[in-house]
Amino acid sequence: MSAEKKTDFHVVNHSVPRRDGRAKVSGKAMYVSDLKLTGMAYAKVLRSPYAHAKIVSIDTSRAAALPGVHCVITGNDLEGINPYYGHAVKDHPLLAIGKVRYAGEPVAAVVAVDERTAFCALEHIDVKYEELKPVLTPDDAMAKDAPLLHERKFEAGALRGFEGEVTAGRGTNICQEAHIKWGDVEAAFKKAAAVVESEYYFPMTYAYAMEAYVAIADVADTGVTIYSSAQHPFMVRHDVKSIFNLPVSQVRLIVPFVGGGYGSKSYTKIEPLTAACSWKAKRPVKLQLTIEEAMLTTRSDDATTWMRTAVDANGKIIARQAKIYMNTGAYAENSPLVVEKSTNRCVGPYAIPNVQIDNYSFYTNTVPASSYRGFGCAQVTLPGESQIDELAAKIGKDPYEFRLANVAKPGEEFFPKMRPFDGTLKEDLEIAAKAIGLNESVPKGHGRSVACSTSDAGAYPLTSTAVRVHADGSVTIMIGSTELGQGSHTVIPQIAAEELGVPFEKVHVVSSDTAITPYDRSTGASRTTTLMGSAVLEASREAIQQMVVMAADVLKVKVEQVQAIRGGVRCGEAQLNWSEVISKFYALPDGEVIGRSYIRKAGKFSQLPVFWETACTAIEVAVDEETGKINVEKLATVGDVGLAINPALAEGQDIGAATMGMGIGLFEELVYQGPQLMNGSILDYRLPRFSDLPKKIDLHLVQNQDGVGPYGAKGGGEASLNSMAANIANAVERAVGVRIRSAPLTPEKVWRALKDKRGKIKNER
Amino acid sequence: MMPLRRFTIDQPKTVKEAAEMLSHYGEKGRLYAGGTELLLAMKHDLLRYDHLVDVKPLPGLNTIETRNNSLHIGATVTHRAIEKSDAVRQIVPVLAEMAHHVANVRVRATGTLGGNLCFAEPHSDPATLLLALEAHVHVQGRSEERILKMDELIAGAYETALAPDELLLAIDIPLASKNKRAAYLKFQIKERPTLGLALVLDLDNGGSISKARAVVGSVSAKPCRSDQADALLVGLRDKVEKQLADAAQALADAADPVDDLEGSAEYKRHLIGVYLKRAFAKALS
Amino acid sequence: MTDNKQTLQLNFQLNGKAVEIECEAEETLAEVLRERLNLTGTKLSCEVQVCGACTVLLDGLPVSSCTLLAYEARGKNVVTIEGLAQPDGTLHPIQQAFIDEFAFQCGFCTPGMILTAKALLDENPKPSREEIVHYMDGNICRCTGYVSIVAAIQRAAGVTSKDTKK
Repeated sequence: MSAEKKTDFHVVNHSVPRRDGRAKVSGKAMYVSDLKLTGMAYAKVLRSPYAHAKIVSIDTSRAAALPGVHCVITGNDLEGINPYYGHAVKDHPLLAIGKVRYAGEPVAAVVAVDERTAFCALEHIDVKYEELKPVLTPDDAMAKDAPLLHERKFEAGALRGFEGEVTAGRGTNICQEAHIKWGDVEAAFKKAAAVVESEYYFPMTYAYAMEAYVAIADVADTGVTIYSSAQHPFMVRHDVKSIFNLPVSQVRLIVPFVGGGYGSKSYTKIEPLTAACSWKAKRPVKLQLTIEEAMLTTRSDDATTWMRTAVDANGKIIARQAKIYMNTGAYAENSPLVVEKSTNRCVGPYAIPNVQIDNYSFYTNTVPASSYRGFGCAQVTLPGESQIDELAAKIGKDPYEFRLANVAKPGEEFFPKMRPFDGTLKEDLEIAAKAIGLNESVPKGHGRSVACSTSDAGAYPLTSTAVRVHADGSVTIMIGSTELGQGSHTVIPQIAAEELGVPFEKVHVVSSDTAITPYDRSTGASRTTTLMGSAVLEASREAIQQMVVMAADVLKVKVEQVQAIRGGVRCGEAQLNWSEVISKFYALPDGEVIGRSYIRKAGKFSQLPVFWETACTAIEVAVDEETGKINVEKLATVGDVGLAINPALAEGQDIGAATMGMGIGLFEELVYQGPQLMNGSILDYRLPRFSDLPKKIDLHLVQNQDGVGPYGAKGGGEASLNSMAANIANAVERAVGVRIRSAPLTPEKVWRALKDKRGKIKNER
Repeated sequence: MMPLRRFTIDQPKTVKEAAEMLSHYGEKGRLYAGGTELLLAMKHDLLRYDHLVDVKPLPGLNTIETRNNSLHIGATVTHRAIEKSDAVRQIVPVLAEMAHHVANVRVRATGTLGGNLCFAEPHSDPATLLLALEAHVHVQGRSEERILKMDELIAGAYETALAPDELLLAIDIPLASKNKRAAYLKFQIKERPTLGLALVLDLDNGGSISKARAVVGSVSAKPCRSDQADALLVGLRDKVEKQLADAAQALADAADPVDDLEGSAEYKRHLIGVYLKRAFAKALS
Repeated sequence: MTDNKQTLQLNFQLNGKAVEIECEAEETLAEVLRERLNLTGTKLSCEVQVCGACTVLLDGLPVSSCTLLAYEARGKNVVTIEGLAQPDGTLHPIQQAFIDEFAFQCGFCTPGMILTAKALLDENPKPSREEIVHYMDGNICRCTGYVSIVAAIQRAAGVTSKDTKK
């Protein structure tokens, strides 16, 4: 629980306009795609047409000889650097070496004077392949005679905030396994009053950050500088440093505005390849992927989940067991962490005394999977929240009442050894139910549903910052948090302005430049407001402490006689604002004070998770029974955020996440036919649009200041995605009486389910 | 960026000159109108041309007018121009409504009707509706102009009956009699329709259907119709309503839907039934 | 590579000013704006005319500059996001409405959204919610869930949003 419940806010808890607003509406906001360096060359990538093949030979001579081409680089040209990288395990070569492991894998890159020249040169590279049997699904991967994707053992990556051990590289295609167990599951299922058991499928999805991956690298004698669209510049720095065997101080990652991330820009992507191009071409090189190439770079893990859940005679959930098979693609990327998180998140927001979850992810010859908004939670919330409804139906209870009776209570240690629950799900559910009119009469063919989720979020607490108060009273805060659109450039200075008592407009943000901004682990897992917010709050207070001491010096009084007030100090009758304190201290209208803070896994952050990210969504769907098409008519979100530093931004995160979740529930899915991705273009990968927007939308925030972050804040922004697919499945069941256990619920899938149901009814007659 | 490979753009001054250019370039040249389909395919390296022959500057291809009891639409008229045209809205409102829903606002602003038909993309909305409207097209190469019916023009997926030197000049739609009713409906989940269904009905004075043309598009390589289906759609409304399922069956047999990302053949056959019924209700509403 | 380089001399109006520029026949309008004229407010995303991030106005109508040849701009009037604010920096009412309604997050779709909205309101100053949805349906935003964008367009049009917000 939060130590303080401040309520008289000046800047915080207000929907102040976005700091980046003017730049973004006038086309002046700079993304890496918009940057050019003097003397910069451009790279284009040749990709493998095969899912699994030995590279017999590569002849680059024709391409390299073309006018305008600086050089061609392949896996044979990487002598002198360590070409393998990866956050969990270093299994990922920056260009294929010896063999290719998925259709679309980079095999060579051309560096040329411009993009067109580089692109046109690609077809002049001659690669001979010898096809190998591809492994495409977890079943393929487990087969006795399955070829191994990776034959060797890997060096460990920089993986942090991870409790388990990485399984990859032990002579099987298992990339990672994770297991949790408490109570006596077998006994509980034996004595249960009712049990539901089924298999569910959550599809491969593509995050579609509208800015595709892009990097500009300059590998010079003095070190490596990279401009990148990465969410976590400090994590990328670690990979780059070991590729070039450089000290941390000689690797600089700079991240300007990022055109969407949603987890897909977590960790290292194309920076190693871009840097290798620059290293070989001896000049700055820009590599801008197309969206179609981005779709061949990262996707989410799909998951097949067998799950059973049991209830006792009193309607109390007594056991849950699940076995999850995830398809992680050709390289581990961050999937081992996704596996660990989805294992935990399979439990759901319920206090269940007997739990066993076994989770395996497999290497396959498909596009590598990695982080995606919600981090494994959506994959297991489809089964989890579907089963809550299925179980309620089985025991004749209203699913909403059933949830109310079983959700974790505030302060309850519902997940052994983790932080006690810090949300108020009962209140959240009530708000969601009311918003959607859950108990009002429903038109025919419509169905309403409320679902919820909680995630062990916040990643790992390791964050530092510097707050610089200048002699004119303005402030610069130095943060490693990346502005992905979530609003960190607005929310974090709101906290500094609140603490220092200066106008919001006077707080300037410098962010995500590893040479300048203090270390911050990542911008993900909804951690920035809680962790960076806390760091900036503490650093602001530390700056104030220093200025109190300075004021005492200036006023020639004892420190105890100086009292900090909003925006300055008081000593008897004398009042000085920060500008006066600093200017008098230095005896010039110049100089500054630097407040610092270091957040680590200690004190109030000693127990993980940093917070439970909790939300409810509520929907009403209408189903066209003739075509199977689902329309989401109404949508409500309830974000259990502790305190919204900026309510409009927090609501924006919730509706954005819910819309992505709706997309997965209705139509988003990467489709493989054999080894080829069939819909690897935005022409064929359907995204939510204006016309999918529900006619009625209600956004709610629950602000009980029960988080560990500033003023009781917790993170948000992922949670309302997680329950949407299950919610849609549950609402469809109520609308037309068919239970669908795989997402997306495409019209054809719904139509087939309805047809099967009619067939069954006929047969029964 | 997905760069386009190098090409030149030619600007013929007359149809004859354009035909000469096309003939001269052979497989290395292609007619270029709106570019919304062609340039997309070229970006994806599905098509390569060294020379594009721009037909847009040719005089007289950019107009909509009534002529000889038909609505005459020049080949380089954009979807947007059709959508907004008073003449089209009054004379063939179903065409304006169809154009209003082609792709998106940007494609409608640049894509042309002639370009759309000549590209013969199997999911073309205009091709489906124009076949039901019994449109015909004027084409011309180095030799004289000839007239093709819609089902003669579209030969298959991405294939037309145009000779290598021929270009499409205009589309003629016979003017609707007072008792003509029409509807075009589509079922669309992705960027392109899963199914488009056009239905044109002639009513006699007693309100009975004297002639019907139903066309289904998007489900297979090209828009399809069926004499058998059309015959089942003729007669008194009550009787025809009872025959809609059979007509849909005949239409589905003729179209022979394919399995693809937009749906299975079985589902598309089912949708033909649903949409024939809906189009029938809409046309007569 | 074939020897078929064709350099064009293009003249057009860009954000109210005449420009004369050389480019090659195969260059798209987005390429010329971004690479030759350094107007990077026009964003490239899907490059298949689906997302609308690259939308610019050509004689007042929205077009996908990712796939439209620069050649098509000759003699025409091109407006990009850089051309909307007044010379003194005052934002266009649609730009201001996007800020006021929090109608963007990452901002990558925003230039295209704003220009499409401008074309809509220039043609239809008081659109209904349905008309907004139909016109804007070809512009994708991955961050906001669209609700705030509809509200911003309604605000700029001076029509109140009844059914999209609580």
